[in-house]
Amino acid sequence: MAEQEQLISEQILQVPYNYSAGRAASRFLAALRDEKKIYAIVCKRCNIVYCPPRSVCGRCFEGLSHWKEVGPYGVVRNFTRVEYTEDVHPATPLVPALIELDGADTLFPHLIIDTEDVKTGDRVRPVFAENRTGHILDMAGFVRVG
Amino acid sequence: MEEELLDVKIDSRFVYNYSTGTIPGYFFRMLRDEARIFGRRCPACNKVYIPPRPVCGPCFRPTSEWVEVGPAGTLVAYTVVYFSFLDPMTGKKRPVPYGYGMVRLDGADSRLQHFISESDHAKLKVGMRVTAVFAEKRTGNFSDLVHFRPVED
Repeated sequence: MAEQEQLISEQILQVPYNYSAGRAASRFLAALRDEKKIYAIVCKRCNIVYCPPRSVCGRCFEGLSHWKEVGPYGVVRNFTRVEYTEDVHPATPLVPALIELDGADTLFPHLIIDTEDVKTGDRVRPVFAENRTGHILDMAGFVRVG
Repeated sequence: MEEELLDVKIDSRFVYNYSTGTIPGYFFRMLRDEARIFGRRCPACNKVYIPPRPVCGPCFRPTSEWVEVGPAGTLVAYTVVYFSFLDPMTGKKRPVPYGYGMVRLDGADSRLQHFISESDHAKLKVGMRVTAVFAEKRTGNFSDLVHFRPVED
């Protein structure tokens, strides 16, 4: 067979969708937007402070409604560094991290903005976006503090 | 106080390419350059596959021969789509309603799924004769075959 031209099939798959954040996450996101504050939800029975907040305790299944402000400072407990990107993805490097906010018992996932030499145990604080819409990126991410 | 409930909006977009490979490559090239449809025959069971496949499903034998099929065929199943969704070929919504069906092209043993154009969808019938409508400008992908339209026999 003579040399063949190889064809490329180009696909553009789009999946736009909305979901209801629910009661707990709505209150959390509205506080980011309106107060630039981070709220956790507390299970008084298990003595666990959940951030991000959830409407039901994962351990005892109690419905939760007791709110408490946490952070804004926290500690990097784990992170990774993303170097690979595609046109549709945010620019790299990206450092997604799990942050233990002061006063919270769970780890909060977000981005570290100053991406050089991140270490577990680093102290961080959030940077809030100028235009906040009730979205998790109302916090642009976290930066290290001395 | 009334509780505010928020929506989370996700706008995900996946742009990707894949190599069609040798056999579909020939199929798309003939579609693009000559507006002709070619299937692939199995040397063991003689089935003609459209879209063409490199290996026969039941026999596991490599297919060995190109066979021109269509452009006319028979509608073997159809539906009318009223709920629009995003077409992965274009990233856009296709205007509804439109027909979508399976066509057994003359000379082929398998069925091809494609759009069926008929302004009066009540006229669509299983067993009706249809023929392929090709795009004026063809680029070597499935949209070179725009849709099938009914024909009088």
